[in-house]
Amino acid sequence: MNEGESGLTLAQLARNGTSSQPMVVNLHMSVAGAGDLVAKLAPIARFADMFVRPAEQGLERVLVFADAQSGGYLRLICPLDKSFPVPLSRVLPAAYQEECELYELWGVEPGGGKPVNRVILPPSAETAEPLRLPGGDRLSSEVRAPHVVQGEAIEFPWGPIRGAGQESLYLGLVTTGEELLDAYLAMFHKHRGLEHRMVGQTLARALFLAERCEGLGAVGNALAFARAAEAALGIAVEPAAEVTRCLALELERIYNHIGSLAALGAATGLSVGQAEAEILLEDCLRLNARVFGHRYIFNLLEVGGVRRGADLAALDSALDRLEARFESLVADLLATNSYVDRLEGAGTIAAEAAHRLGLVGPVARAAGVATDLRRTHQVSSTSYVGFRPAREQPGDCLARMRVGAAEVRESLRLVRHWVRSGTPLQDDWATPGPGQDHVGGPAEGLGWAETCRGEALVHLEVAGGRVSFARLRPAATRNWRAFDDALRARNVFTDVPIVEASFWLTVAGFAR
Amino acid sequence: MTPRVLDPGALPLPGAAHGEIDAAAVRLKRRSMAVLRRSLHIRTVDTGSCGACESEIRLLSSPYYDFHRLGLFFTPTPRHADCLLVTGPGCRAMDHALLSAYEAMPAPKVVVAVGACPLGGVFGADRYTRGEITDVVPVDVVVPGCPPSPLALIHGLLLALDRIEERITLQEGEQ
Ligand code: SF4
Repeated sequence: MNEGESGLTLAQLARNGTSSQPMVVNLHMSVAGAGDLVAKLAPIARFADMFVRPAEQGLERVLVFADAQSGGYLRLICPLDKSFPVPLSRVLPAAYQEECELYELWGVEPGGGKPVNRVILPPSAETAEPLRLPGGDRLSSEVRAPHVVQGEAIEFPWGPIRGAGQESLYLGLVTTGEELLDAYLAMFHKHRGLEHRMVGQTLARALFLAERCEGLGAVGNALAFARAAEAALGIAVEPAAEVTRCLALELERIYNHIGSLAALGAATGLSVGQAEAEILLEDCLRLNARVFGHRYIFNLLEVGGVRRGADLAALDSALDRLEARFESLVADLLATNSYVDRLEGAGTIAAEAAHRLGLVGPVARAAGVATDLRRTHQVSSTSYVGFRPAREQPGDCLARMRVGAAEVRESLRLVRHWVRSGTPLQDDWATPGPGQDHVGGPAEGLGWAETCRGEALVHLEVAGGRVSFARLRPAATRNWRAFDDALRARNVFTDVPIVEASFWLTVAGFAR
Repeated sequence: MTPRVLDPGALPLPGAAHGEIDAAAVRLKRRSMAVLRRSLHIRTVDTGSCGACESEIRLLSSPYYDFHRLGLFFTPTPRHADCLLVTGPGCRAMDHALLSAYEAMPAPKVVVAVGACPLGGVFGADRYTRGEITDVVPVDVVVPGCPPSPLALIHGLLLALDRIEERITLQEGEQ
């Protein structure tokens, strides 16, 4: 167990807490106590999430920390006084995005008068009321963190509508012409209020929405959701269904990393590399359709298991050829100097920044931070036996590209192992799982999964078989936090699409 | 304007034999030859999609589909666009951008709605989304699916080309 300077260990904390599900410890505290504890926790645990939820007496603030050593999560729960005495983001810089969101959702200001950015509501909604607190105090229109463009520089507006087939987001690029000095992002044009929409819905309908939170991470996000529901309802998943879910998760990872290669080809102007990657991407999507009946593997997961089995013969026959072509593509790309030169040193995220901002997934692993839930937070003890997480340095676009390549290799190895070693897998249409018509008293659960973009978390509360509260925290929410930092790190204008392709995040996941 | 729905018979079903796919390709080619007296320039707008529809749109120019051979092209500006390809359920925060893009396009112009989202098939109308984008811009062609495959998108774009042809003929008749 890690020990911080304070001598505090998570194991000690866990002994004082209560547990609502295995590997999740809840600590109920006063606001002042929570403020102290957060400062002590920051160096020894990874800040994962913060949200506000309705409780019996008013509102509660929940902070979620991940502990790599024990493979569990720690939830710090305190009443929602107007705010902490000091802004949380002073000790937890990663929490700034959440502070801004909480202001617009619940009207909670960060302590110490720290300015927030308007992130969810469009700027035209100058004097709106908090989204989740209708009738609450009107939000001040004077909310803007300092945003200064000085001297020779101009802010070049890009978005929300961008290039062909790109998701909507606003990027304010501060530049003197070539060099990028700063960048501002406005990401909530696509906010669909998914968490709000889930309230009152059946679990099946809410899972449908969780899948569409991020189409290119449908399996991963639906898996985190299903696990949260299963934890709340105490449902055990059959081992064959569990491995089938992991199989789908790895197929999703493979096509996403190849999609990132295609985008990198486009961003660097390497048409041949782009075309090769697109051919491989299309093949992967067709393989998904043959194996699971959908190009993006929608509608596979359900609470309690999977809806159908995999077409293992189709998968088995495609693996060797896929791997050979992937290896030849990566070798060709890495042997192309003009391509490697563009990636090297672009959009660098240092390991220190990755820790500070609580980054997850391939972006963190490319900065040398070995965080991978498939190793640290395993849900079943059998699926990921012998798993080797990727890790690279020094956090630039090239390192992220290499992490992607290593992960495709590892995913292919896992898939081959599951398919060929006789691991029990769901191989037919499944009977509806027990979660479909489960009706019971109020319960809550935390679910997680290592999606292709990193850790996805879902906090779910159910009552009478329906969702009473939901919080989605896809990996994109954490990692976009580092995008502007990556752009500021001595880049030029044309590096922006390269950095974006190497991050391979979705706006949909961030904006929910 | 009544939206046009794709004729499902024109597309090979999943698992179709090679013969059927070839026949569909021939039909598609004959049709494109018949209508391609000019090309179609396309501007895409995402009004809150999950990102999967965007992925299929990006694949339109990939080697498997290569829609350039049919005279279809993406353009980075609405001023050069004949066709607005819209995904997503019409997030209200995108209203202004969507309408501005539509208004910036020269006539004759068509709007193609991509996927279940802009048809109201995924989200309803509420304070976040419109549910259907027809409240903001008129829709000429709808391509259902969640997401529609690139082949279905090409089919929809060729229908859009039909619409443009009709409008040009109408304009010429009026002059
Ligand atoms: S139609 Fe389906 S695939 Fe397309 S954006 Fe909507 S939810 Fe995603």
